[in-house]
Amino acid sequence: MAIRDDFEVVASQVRTVVQRFALGLLVIAAFGAMLVGKADTVLVEHARVVALDLASPVLEAIARPVAAANRAIADLKEFASLRQENARLREENARLLAWQTAARRLENENERMRELANFREGPEASFITARIVGDSVSAYVRGALLNVGLRAGAASGQAVVTGEGLAGRIAEVGENSARVLFVTDVNSRLPVLIERTRERAILAGDNSPRLRLSLLQSVAGVQRGDRIVTSGDGGSFPVGIPIGEVVETSEGSIRVRPFADFSRLEFVRVVDYGVTGLVSGGPAPLAVPTGVRVR
Amino acid sequence: MRADGLFAMLDRWGRWALPGTVLLFFVLLTLAPLRAPYLSGALPLLPALVVFQFSLATPERLPGPLLLAMGILLDLLLGGPGAPVGVSALCFVLIRAAVINNRRYLVGVPFLFQWFGFCLLAWGYVVLVWFFTALWTWTAIDPAPAMMQYVVVVVIYPLLAPLLARVRARDPLNVPDGSRGTARPGETTS
Repeated sequence: MAIRDDFEVVASQVRTVVQRFALGLLVIAAFGAMLVGKADTVLVEHARVVALDLASPVLEAIARPVAAANRAIADLKEFASLRQENARLREENARLLAWQTAARRLENENERMRELANFREGPEASFITARIVGDSVSAYVRGALLNVGLRAGAASGQAVVTGEGLAGRIAEVGENSARVLFVTDVNSRLPVLIERTRERAILAGDNSPRLRLSLLQSVAGVQRGDRIVTSGDGGSFPVGIPIGEVVETSEGSIRVRPFADFSRLEFVRVVDYGVTGLVSGGPAPLAVPTGVRVR
Repeated sequence: MRADGLFAMLDRWGRWALPGTVLLFFVLLTLAPLRAPYLSGALPLLPALVVFQFSLATPERLPGPLLLAMGILLDLLLGGPGAPVGVSALCFVLIRAAVINNRRYLVGVPFLFQWFGFCLLAWGYVVLVWFFTALWTWTAIDPAPAMMQYVVVVVIYPLLAPLLARVRARDPLNVPDGSRGTARPGETTS
């Protein structure tokens, strides 16, 4: 009995101490979490992936009605300018048809040239279509969550593209979810080419809607309206995915507007280029049948 | 003194679980792909609003360890390579402590005072998160988006807070169960 009483006395003392210093302990715990996160990034990445996998079904449930509402609002807006839009599209269609003819001719010519030169093309890319189930957009991050993960063949480092151009790359991947880091994120650095001059550069995000072009050989060669495409350096991205166009060339800083409209993304394609291991250092991606649609 | 029927039990459980559930909902909502301009940027601050409002009304139903867990979950979900995990937890805990220690200025006072209190605490939250994120990633992060977030959430507060404040509708004196009925004559809630 005496032991039990002693135990209870000690327990109640511990309880009093814990209650008195509850705030201090919680603050220390929070700091501890931050330090652990700084020291052991692998552990934190793992925890992030687990949290994403757990949250993604809930998010998917939320995403559908939200997407429907967003679409309805967009529809209403477009309805107002339907006639003008139609005229514009007809004009654009005529112009694009002319381009299509040119592209066909060039493609044929290219193919014949490649045969002549015995050119080896890079690996064939395949796509996984994914729905965006969550935004991770805050004051500090520009990204999104996808509903595909390892099981569908996604791997970190793969390019994520929209119909207009490159959106970003996969930063973390779980069983059934993945996090995309947009090109506009402050942590995004891409090896790129200026399409007209074939000059190589690095395209960096800074959380603003515009991207920054850096590490150029010469700033003078860049003009407004120049298209920026991926250079394929590093091996994880296919060559020539359009990213954006130069909109501002003041001395020392060149600004690029991305083609992808990040405010209206709903579906994206994950490009499996087969050699992601070079950049991510992660495990080799699983074999994916081409053109898998994941919904 | 407590009723012991099934519904009474459910009611009690519901009351205990509600603040945590609402907080969890807002933590998850942070990731919802709302495409409303300005609003979607301010979503990450809404959990802080919930913590503030419930700490006013029923702090005992939103205990510190729960806030710690929710904050870490929020940081994990919001992500960002190199961003500190646990800074939201730190802020939630500090908000709760600040509200509890200043109840006399925040509970039972006109709404404007509560709003003002929220403005101060949310400012602290934004600055703290910005500071730690900049420190942890060791980059000079542009504070403008964070300021924008702050302004939006301060404007949203009057819309959301009355809704959340209904949680204590059947508890007008807003006194924890344990100490109910112990007030001496002339004493007000504090």
